[in-house]
Amino acid sequence: MSDPLAVLDRRPQPGEPRDYDFPGFERTTLDNGLILIRCHVPGRPLLQAQLIVRGDAGGGATSEDAEVAGATALTARAMSEGTTERDAVAFVEAAERLGSEMRASAGWDSLSVNLEVPRSRLDAAMSLFAEMALRPSFPAREVERLRDERLNDLQQVMADPRRRAEKAFPAVIYADGAPYARPLGGVEKTVAPLDRDVLADRHAALLRPEGATLLVCGDIEGLPLDDIVGSAFGHWSISAVDPPLIPQAADQAAEGRRVVVVDRPGAPQSEIRVGHVGAPRRIDDFHSLSVMNALLGGLFNSRLNMLLREKRGYTYGVNSGFDLRRAAGPFAVRCAVESPATAPAVADIVAELARVGGDPVTDAELDAARDYLIGVFPLRFETSAQVAGALAGLVVQELPDDELDRYRPAIAAVTADDVRAAAQAHIDVEAASIVVVGDAAVCEEELRTAGYGEVEVVHDEGFGATEE
Amino acid sequence: MSGDNRVRFSQHTLANGLRVNIAPDRVAPVVAINLWYDVGSKHEQPGKTGFAHLFEHFMFQGSRHVAKAEHLSIVQGAGGVLNATTYFDRTNYFETLPSHQVELGLWLEADRMATLLDAMSQENLDNQRDVVKNEKRQSYDNRPYGSFFEKLMAASYPEGHPYHHITIGSMEDLDAASLEDVEAFFRTYYVPNNAVLTVAGDVDEAPVIEAVERYFDPIEPNDSLSAFRLPHDEPLVAQREIVPDDVPLERVHVGYRSPAFGTLEFDALEVATQILAGGRGSRLHKRLVREEQVAQDVAFFALPLVAGSSVAAGWVTVRPESDAAAVEDILDQELARMTREPVTDDELARAHALIESAELSALSHMDEVADRLSMYTTYFDRPELINEQLGRYLAVDAEAVRDVCAAVLDGERVTLTYAPRNEKEAVV
Repeated sequence: MSDPLAVLDRRPQPGEPRDYDFPGFERTTLDNGLILIRCHVPGRPLLQAQLIVRGDAGGGATSEDAEVAGATALTARAMSEGTTERDAVAFVEAAERLGSEMRASAGWDSLSVNLEVPRSRLDAAMSLFAEMALRPSFPAREVERLRDERLNDLQQVMADPRRRAEKAFPAVIYADGAPYARPLGGVEKTVAPLDRDVLADRHAALLRPEGATLLVCGDIEGLPLDDIVGSAFGHWSISAVDPPLIPQAADQAAEGRRVVVVDRPGAPQSEIRVGHVGAPRRIDDFHSLSVMNALLGGLFNSRLNMLLREKRGYTYGVNSGFDLRRAAGPFAVRCAVESPATAPAVADIVAELARVGGDPVTDAELDAARDYLIGVFPLRFETSAQVAGALAGLVVQELPDDELDRYRPAIAAVTADDVRAAAQAHIDVEAASIVVVGDAAVCEEELRTAGYGEVEVVHDEGFGATEE
Repeated sequence: MSGDNRVRFSQHTLANGLRVNIAPDRVAPVVAINLWYDVGSKHEQPGKTGFAHLFEHFMFQGSRHVAKAEHLSIVQGAGGVLNATTYFDRTNYFETLPSHQVELGLWLEADRMATLLDAMSQENLDNQRDVVKNEKRQSYDNRPYGSFFEKLMAASYPEGHPYHHITIGSMEDLDAASLEDVEAFFRTYYVPNNAVLTVAGDVDEAPVIEAVERYFDPIEPNDSLSAFRLPHDEPLVAQREIVPDDVPLERVHVGYRSPAFGTLEFDALEVATQILAGGRGSRLHKRLVREEQVAQDVAFFALPLVAGSSVAAGWVTVRPESDAAAVEDILDQELARMTREPVTDDELARAHALIESAELSALSHMDEVADRLSMYTTYFDRPELINEQLGRYLAVDAEAVRDVCAAVLDGERVTLTYAPRNEKEAVV
C-alpha cells in the first residue's frame, strides 16, 4: 500500500450528468412567404444567418439539367462576386469592413447563403447579405474566372489520389445519367459552356421567398430581429419563374458490382473505396443505422479501424459512412493503405461488411457506440454556426421540430437486434463496388483472383507511363 | 449579453512542478481537458527525427490500468472526443467530455503520465511505426505538392538546426527507433515539471484542483530536466529549386525567416499576412487571382515557432496558360510594396475586423480556450495572454506592418517551384 500511484488503481465513477437541451427556436412567416427561424444561443456573440432554398422548392444541384451539371455550384460561388449595387471588390471589402464572412454554397438538396458576423454589426451586415442573396449581378468577367478556376481544379483532382477516388466512386455505384453519379461541381464538358446568363437564370429559378427559410442563430437576445430582417428581406417579391423540377431517380443505382482500378504507376499508397448506394435521410431506422455505422467504422475503436490500423498497421485510419440526402446518397468505407496491402485490405473490408449483418453485436460494442453518440451530442453544437447547421438539416430534410430533442432517447433505445437489422437493410456486401486509385501492377492480379468480379483498369491521361 | 468575452481562469502549480489552469465556463455541459508537454520535433537528436511524433502514437497504446487503444474507447464511450498533435515546439493531448466525466479524463492523463512504460512492447512499437509510415505516405508522399513543407523547412534552416526537419521525420530514423529510446524519451520529457494541464468548461474550481492533486501529485518530476537551448541560429541562405512532381499546375512556394511567435513583431506579421492573403479582399488575391487572372490560388502565412525565429511562407498556384516566372515577378512586386508603402487605413481596419471575428469564433470552442491557455503557459508562463492577444493585434498600426515586412521580406528567401513532371525537361 505504500505505492503512491495506488490512487490510480481505481477508475473514477462519473458524476451526475447535467441536462442538455438543444437550443429552442421559434418560427415566423413574413408576408412574402419567407420563413424566419430564430434561435438564441447564449454567450455566442458571433452570429450565423443562413438563407436556405430547399430541395422541394427546386434548390440544390439535384434539379439541374445534366448538360449544365455544376451550374448550381457555380451560381452559389458567383453570388458573392458582385451585386446590382457594387462590383465584386467593393462587395468583398464591404463585407470585410463588418468583420463578416458572406458566401453561398450548393448542396445536392439545397442552396444556402451564409453570413457570419458579430452581433454588434448584424444590422448593417443583414442588408448587405440580402443584396448578395437577392441581387447578385453575375459579372461576366468574374463568372468566367470562377468557371476557369473550376476547370483548373478538375485537373488538380486528377493529380490528388484522394479526390480522384471521390470522383470515381459515385460514377461507379450510380447509374449513368443519375444526378448523384456526377460531381456536385460538374465535369469539364458541362462546366466549360457555363456563362453568366445560365447562372442568372439558375438564380432566378431558385431564389424565391416561398419555400425559403432564413435562420438566425447566436446570442440574439435584445436584437430587433423583426425590423432587421423585415427591412432586408421584406420586399423580396414572389417569383414569376417556375421552380425547377426534382428528377425522380437521382439515386438510381448502377447494375451490379464493379471493381475499378484507376492506375497510378509507382504510387506509394492506394486510396480504397468500398460501398454502394446507401440510404436517404428520412428512414424509420435512422438511429439504428447511426449506431451500426459507429461500431462498424465511425468510432476509433470500430471494427474496421481496430483491424486495419491497430492490428494490421495497413493504414493511418479507416472509416465508414452514409451520406444521407433526400434520396439515397453513397455508403462507403474509405481508407488509404500501403500499396502491397491493397488486396488484403479490400478482403478485410469485405469480410467486415459481410459480418456486420450476421455476427452478434456485443454489449460492449453497443454501449460504446450509443454512449459515444449520446455523449458527443452537446459537443456538436458549441457555436452559432454548428447550431445553424443542425437547424438547416431539419429544414432541408423536412424533419419534425423535435427531431433533435428526440435524438438521444432514440439512440439510447437502439438494441443489438436493431443494429443487425439496420445492417441487413442497408449494407449488401454482394452489391458493394470496389474502387482503388493506386498501382495496378501491384494489386490488379490479386483483386482478380479474389473473385469480386471482372477488374476494370482505368488509365488517366498523363498517368500511364511508368517511372524510370 | 455582456460585451465582455474575457476568459476567466485560475492558475496553480503542484509540488512536482505541474502547472494547472482551470477556466470554469457554464455555457454548455462539456469540459475540455488539455495537456501540453514541452517537447516537440525540435528536441530530437540527429538520427532520431520523427521520434516525438512516433512517441505521441505510443501514448495511445496503453498504460498500467489502460489496455492498448483503450484510452480512445474509454473517452469515446464516455461521449467524448480526443486527439493529440505533435509540432516543432511541443506535443499536445486533449479530450472534450461531458462535464460529469471530468475526473475520468484527468485519471486517464495521469495514468499515462505516471505508468506508460508498463504497457511498452516491441509489438506496439512495430505496429505504430507502420501506422506512422502510412500517415506519411497519406499526408506527404501520395499528395500533390506534398513534399513542400519538408523541403521548405530543410531549406530555411541549416542541417543540424532544430527546425531543419519537420515532425514526421525520416522513415530510416523511425526504423532505428528502439524500446530504449521510448523509455529514455518518456523519462526525460513526459514528467509533470515539463507539462501544463488546463481544464476548461462546465466545472467548479475546487473539486477539479482536488482531483488534479489526487491523481498527479504522486508523479515524480525529472529533476535533471534542462531548458531547451538553441545550438546556433545562422541567417537563412537564399536557395532556389525546381521540384518535378505529379501535378498539373505549377506552384511557386516562398519562405522567409521571421521574428519568433510571441513577439510584437510576429503579431504585426500576422496582420500583414491578413492584408496580403487573408481572403478575397487581400492584395495577392485581388492582383493575382482576380485582376491579372494568372493564379489559381494564393496563400501567405506566418508559422508560429518560438525558438529564436519563425518562418513566413506563401505560395501561388499558377494557372495553366500562365508562366511561373511571370507570376513570381508579380508576387515580388506585391511583397516589395508591403515593405515600402504603408498599408491604407481601410486595409488595416478590414484586417482588424476579420481578426476580431476569427478570435470570437476560436474562443467559442472550449477545446480552443483550453489549448490556448496551455500554449501561453508552456511557451511564456503567461496564460493571461489569452485575453491580451486580440488587443495586441488591434494595436498593430501601418508603421508596424511596414517595419516587419521590411525586416522579413527584404531578407533572403527560399523559392521552390513545383513543375509538372511531364514538362520537367522543358523546365530544367
